[in-house]
Amino acid sequence: MIPSLAGRTWNACFSALQLDRFVTAEMTEGEAERLRVHLTGCARCRTALDELRAGSEERLPPLRVVPLSPRSRVRIRAAAAAVGIAAAASLLVMVRPFGVRTKGSFALAMYVDHAGEVRRAAPGEVVALGDAVRFAVSAPADGYVAVLSLDPKGRAFVYFPAGGRAERVQAGSDLPLPLGTRLDETVGEERIVGLFCPSAVELEPLRLQLEQGGPAVPGDCQVTRWSFVKR
Amino acid sequence: MTLDAAAIERLYRSHGHIVLRRARALLGSEPDAQEALQEVFAALLRAPHSLRSAASVVGWLYQSTTHFCLNLIRNQRTGARLLQVAPTPAPAAAGCRGEALAELRSLLSRLPAEAATAAVYHHLDGMTHEEIAGLLGCSRRKVGYLLERVQQSLARLEQSA
Repeated sequence: MIPSLAGRTWNACFSALQLDRFVTAEMTEGEAERLRVHLTGCARCRTALDELRAGSEERLPPLRVVPLSPRSRVRIRAAAAAVGIAAAASLLVMVRPFGVRTKGSFALAMYVDHAGEVRRAAPGEVVALGDAVRFAVSAPADGYVAVLSLDPKGRAFVYFPAGGRAERVQAGSDLPLPLGTRLDETVGEERIVGLFCPSAVELEPLRLQLEQGGPAVPGDCQVTRWSFVKR
Repeated sequence: MTLDAAAIERLYRSHGHIVLRRARALLGSEPDAQEALQEVFAALLRAPHSLRSAASVVGWLYQSTTHFCLNLIRNQRTGARLLQVAPTPAPAAAGCRGEALAELRSLLSRLPAEAATAAVYHHLDGMTHEEIAGLLGCSRRKVGYLLERVQQSLARLEQSA
């Protein structure tokens, strides 16, 4: 079996690196022209190039933001303090679907990092392309949390967590989730669905349902919804 | 070149597929490949100046992806050894190429880092010695030596199999 590696698994005259540089228009005009001439007479390279181009059409999930550094956390707390409201209470009011919160329910908050300045987001907040957003939760008990989004084009993503199931959090207020997201260039209203469940529910079925007008949230989960607008 | 966060997001959209494709081939696991995709760009967000000295953005992405994936492969093997269980074999794509990729993954965890990187560039990406030398920042002669070492490791593995 091993001698099969004596050759290459790549099966074209030009390397994948060069074809990727061609697809992404990184080659000089001279390099690109040489490749174009070669492609006219080489079926293997044409096939390889077609495969790379097909792959470049794949829809990627949102780019997650780096977990905030200790300094950034301080800035977030400072932002919350600056509005003069106890962080937990303000977060809860902010994210209730109908602006009302019942005691002991799950709540979600969003912070926006715009050009290095962090602010607390309000319902319907207008954010800029390329801003980073990060969520914090208030959980009435230990449980499992997930944050899903439906973008303006009707595509659903799981913002948190990175794995395929809701992730455990401890009871508490204003608990920052360890990952954020860098907003892409799709403008319009983005809907957010926060889930709080007693078990680690699978998220892919919920994500698919969200794209079809759902999700049908498991009966023992709490859900909170809100939105922001990307311009 | 140094990019701001918005430019890195655009780069993610335009070039992320390169990272994902190579990570899938190297790791043979969709969740691991998705993690590699995020981590490569997260590293860039943390240190955008790392692109400053790169002659090619695509080349930089190749280097970063390879580095992340090889570390993951090595860590998985180490973890499996510590737990005294057999490493979970990554699923191979169908056909000869899939078999060769599975063999490549098996070999990579056993090679020194530089030789493993050269093996990836040569076998997975079909790079010439000159291209590999450009990414590794070494001479073509050194690349020849590294790939010869890879072949020797292959031969030893074949004998022990």
